[in-house]
Amino acid sequence: MPPVPPQVQQVIEALTASPALEAYLIVGAIMFAIGAWGALVRRNAVVVFMCVELMINAVNLTLVAFADYLPDAGGLGVSYAVLVIAIAAAEIAVGLAIVLAVFRSRRTVNVDEINSMRG
Amino acid sequence: MTVAFAFLAGMTLVSALGVVLSRNVVHSALFMSGSFLGVAGFFVMLNAPALAAFQVLIYVGAVTVVILFGIMFTQRPQARRFGTIINRQRWPGFFVAVGVGAFLAYVLSAEDWGSTRPGNGPREVAAFGRDLLGVSAGSEIFVLLFEVASVLLLVAVVAAIVVSRRKRGEGVDRGVRE
Repeated sequence: MPPVPPQVQQVIEALTASPALEAYLIVGAIMFAIGAWGALVRRNAVVVFMCVELMINAVNLTLVAFADYLPDAGGLGVSYAVLVIAIAAAEIAVGLAIVLAVFRSRRTVNVDEINSMRG
Repeated sequence: MTVAFAFLAGMTLVSALGVVLSRNVVHSALFMSGSFLGVAGFFVMLNAPALAAFQVLIYVGAVTVVILFGIMFTQRPQARRFGTIINRQRWPGFFVAVGVGAFLAYVLSAEDWGSTRPGNGPREVAAFGRDLLGVSAGSEIFVLLFEVASVLLLVAVVAAIVVSRRKRGEGVDRGVRE
């Protein structure tokens, strides 16, 4: 096997290096912001639920990144992420049941038309 | 690793934007499952393969199917113009989201996290299971959290049935009036 020139070696090392902790955190932050944007501006209640799930996933990603990168965390963030997934599943079941009940009585799921509790 | 990270980050964030911006609700649901798949790939990169399996099973499988059921039950044919899917808080919502994202990214990257190095996650499924059940040292709180989560799941199942159930004598079931 011919010797690899040092420039190629550097490129290979840069491509196989682990990304920094901040890279995962910033991806999580951007994903959270996109989810918050959708939850604020979309009219369809089902899409609002999807955006809330996106935010929960962003937080899970941050938790697992901390659990893997911080030596003192002991990897417990992964266990917290499992609990978060369970609670998010419960939330989506109850939330979609509420959306179904609202749709049955009002024939719409647009959140800006459901204003009977407006003060 | 960098190539995989860039691919997964692009997949996750582009799919997340697709959830918000696509005009068809079913496309939003499919984009959402793509975004969850990207997060599952991140979990594999972060030494949590069992959690990645849970993510694929629960989110890409179950949650997407439940949301597609919700879409089937609640959607009427609707106009596909972009203005009709967005409510009146379009620009305030956008600026709030950009502000939240910029603030979080700034704080998380400006903070000094000390000596960070990858590879501390519970890569063995056995160690992960001991953490989750509160057996290993330092994770005793998970005994309580596990039980609380199980009670909460039971309450949520009962609540979902009670809330979405049709009252006797109202509505039509498959063309048969009760």
